[in-house]
Amino acid sequence: MKIAMINGSPKPVKSNSALMLKTLDPLISTGNELTYYNINKRPLTIEQYCELCRMDTLIIAFPLYVDGIPSHLFRMLVALEEFMRVEREQEIYVYTIINNGFFEGRQNHIALEIMRNWCTRCGLHFGQGLGQGAGEMMGFLEKVPLGQGPLKNLGKAMESLAHNIHSRSMDESMLFSPNFPRFAWRFSATHSFWNATAKKNGLKKKDMLKRL
Amino acid sequence: MKIIVHDLQQQEFAGWVDDPNAELTVLSDNDTIRQCMGCFGCWTKTPGVCVIKDGYQNIGELLSKCDELIIISKCMYGSYSPFILNVLNRSISYMLPYFVTKNGETHHRNRYDHQFALSVHFYGHDITEAEMGTARTLVAANSMNLYSIGNKVYFHNSLQNVKEAVL
Repeated sequence: MKIAMINGSPKPVKSNSALMLKTLDPLISTGNELTYYNINKRPLTIEQYCELCRMDTLIIAFPLYVDGIPSHLFRMLVALEEFMRVEREQEIYVYTIINNGFFEGRQNHIALEIMRNWCTRCGLHFGQGLGQGAGEMMGFLEKVPLGQGPLKNLGKAMESLAHNIHSRSMDESMLFSPNFPRFAWRFSATHSFWNATAKKNGLKKKDMLKRL
Repeated sequence: MKIIVHDLQQQEFAGWVDDPNAELTVLSDNDTIRQCMGCFGCWTKTPGVCVIKDGYQNIGELLSKCDELIIISKCMYGSYSPFILNVLNRSISYMLPYFVTKNGETHHRNRYDHQFALSVHFYGHDITEAEMGTARTLVAANSMNLYSIGNKVYFHNSLQNVKEAVL
């Protein structure tokens, strides 16, 4: 099968969406041809849009933005709908992997609905969606084996996703949080991420609270 | 202050607002807005202001002075259109990066005590029931995250209907 791995993160480097695709890659690479697409720096070319219309499967990974889809990815989806109407000749299955900054993966449910509605407009099959909470943790867990510790839920979800991709099946979406206490995540996000990043930029906590 | 964010062409919106003295700010697409790049600079580098200086860097501050936010958007797959999404993506400096728990779910803490009323006018001639349902859920979630005073969602099948409803 020809599978498109679309990274829908706007980050120039080190995106959690890229990590998600990297995690899925070895689970689906055997017997399939995987092609990666990035839209963070420039839009897709007409040739790339046409290529996507000739894929068997699209896997779209992106971060949740303001309860929905990041604007640059949304622009791409709107353009792709037009290409799909004209260029598509075969059945295409779409799978999505969303990560959100809040702890609860269930907060991704609206973005999944939007993706499902997009598939309906395009005439594509919405296969399955995953929604991972506390996405910013992923970058700190690269050395943790998939399916273990805080990545236990992600491991199960990735296995399910890989199985459905291989068999071109449609399945219930899976929304989950990392196997990690919420209070510990919140403490660590506040102190080791937000405050630490601000400190590196020469700011104090009171600067972060600034009102204009 | 009232803010209207819309995705209409200049000629489509022309004549909608006649009173130059009204306390009104209009945000529209002049093809210069750049995408959020997920750098968190508006939280950890220049708190309250986006680091991308393209004329849309102060949306968070604008919202802090807003009493009524009106969004006019084509309904696409149950979402706002790309420009409206772009504005919302660039507005997160209105919040703080820190977290609070509301109704068992994590949300961002508010930077300002201020609150505004939120109404969203979606337009389109073939919006499906599923898309309307998604759009209502999306606006409700935005309302919760932006600490707005409730939210109202309307669907219109023509721009004329939007104009009559908004003005």
